[in-house]
Amino acid sequence: MHWHWLIIIYLFLGGLGAGAYLTSFAAEKGWLGKNSSLTKVGYYIAPPIVAIGTVLLVFDLGQGLTKPWLLVGLLTNPKSVMTWGVYILSLFIIVGFLKAFFTFRKKSCSNILTVAGAVLALATGAYTGLLIAVVDAVPFWATGVMPVLFVVSALSTGLSITSLLAMLVEKENFNEGKEGVAHIWLIAAELVVVAVFIGIMISGVNGPIGKESAELLVSGVYSVVFWGYFIGLGLLFPLFAFTFNHWKSKKPAVKQKKRHSLLTIVSDVLVIVGGFALRALVILAAIPVWESLTF
Amino acid sequence: MDSKKPVKLSRRNVIKMGVIGTATLSLGVVSFKVAGSKSTPAKASTKGEQIGFIYDQTKCVACRVCQAACKEANNWEEGVEWRRVLTSESKANAFLSISCNHCENPACATVCPVGAYTKRDKDGIVIQNPDKCIGCKYCMYACPYHAPQFSEKTGRISKCHFCYERQDRGEKPACVENCPTGALNFGKISVLRETEGAVATLPGMPDSSITNPSWVIIPKE
Repeated sequence: MHWHWLIIIYLFLGGLGAGAYLTSFAAEKGWLGKNSSLTKVGYYIAPPIVAIGTVLLVFDLGQGLTKPWLLVGLLTNPKSVMTWGVYILSLFIIVGFLKAFFTFRKKSCSNILTVAGAVLALATGAYTGLLIAVVDAVPFWATGVMPVLFVVSALSTGLSITSLLAMLVEKENFNEGKEGVAHIWLIAAELVVVAVFIGIMISGVNGPIGKESAELLVSGVYSVVFWGYFIGLGLLFPLFAFTFNHWKSKKPAVKQKKRHSLLTIVSDVLVIVGGFALRALVILAAIPVWESLTF
Repeated sequence: MDSKKPVKLSRRNVIKMGVIGTATLSLGVVSFKVAGSKSTPAKASTKGEQIGFIYDQTKCVACRVCQAACKEANNWEEGVEWRRVLTSESKANAFLSISCNHCENPACATVCPVGAYTKRDKDGIVIQNPDKCIGCKYCMYACPYHAPQFSEKTGRISKCHFCYERQDRGEKPACVENCPTGALNFGKISVLRETEGAVATLPGMPDSSITNPSWVIIPKE
């Protein structure tokens, strides 16, 4: 009956695609260093990733396969965050494919389109968090921290998938820019936001049921996934690895060495795994207030 | 002679006109709908009076006739319960017959992406149209009282509509009509709230500030 894996994958892919676009956007703007290798791949993968997530969602709808024409109605309630999402994601997929097309054809494309794509990507990332943050009846979701957490995770996972694929595509030409530093900042920021989020929930500000959900992560059935996959492997390990690499690259002796080490690859994969674990934890540990009405 | 200037009725032109026509039409329909939806809340506050349920815990014996009557009158879809009778964990022989509270600020109606929910102007009844429902379950999460429920069999949500058709015919809702002890009743919420011993919620129940539910409870001491 509850939301499950398809929703988790949808929220994850929404963030991943948004982050991939923004990674290439940042690289194109030169924020990730000169001659960055990340200027294209993010644009190529962002629209299909988000589109796949959206298609998966249709399978989760009770009427997605039986009466698909009812989905037209999704555009009709301007008060519903889900309706906003339909507009945001549709526009992002369209603008994203256009941007990918221009990039692929090496045609110059209007800056307005590129920036519009970036704004829509940010909106897509924020939407995946806002969708659940407005549900007051699920205290574990009902906090303004949720969209922030999802956006930071989106940027982090998007940067990782783009770096990984850029390594594959560019091979010998791959040139690492400032993404190591970007990784460090994003993961550090995510750790802070997660701490704030868990702190809010454990303190009981959002009520006893929000606390109950948080305890499922911290000490309950999901503690292995939370501490192990998300915090340990998904955040702390990559944080140390990227910090170590950064520190090493500062040393002049090894400066010219091959940059995309195995450690970087493993870290990038783990960031993505951690991002998925985060979406899974947030959805699976949610307890609606109505589930145990006590009086 | 100018009027004779040929308008080429090529396939291309026909398609072009068709596309432009459809686009204009749909634009008009959409903007009309948006304009229409904006004007509804304003109307709701001026017309009619909100009605709600009153439940007397001191009279209820948990016979569940309200449930059975509702099921019979409204043909529940498989796996959903429009009305439930809950048992208290803290007090002996204390119950709660609960369905939709036809809230002042219905969270279900806010979150529903397809606009399957409407709140009637004349009495504030929140009606969900299952034929519009796509089965996303967003409303199921949003409602603090678990009024909208999902049927795996039909793949859609349905919920209590206060027997609005019966009420329009001047009849009582099926649950109220059939309650043998008079524990369940209904009326204008402003009047019900004046009832002696009546409270807006019970300790442990969801915070009523979320949706401002239209119900009143007379708790058992």
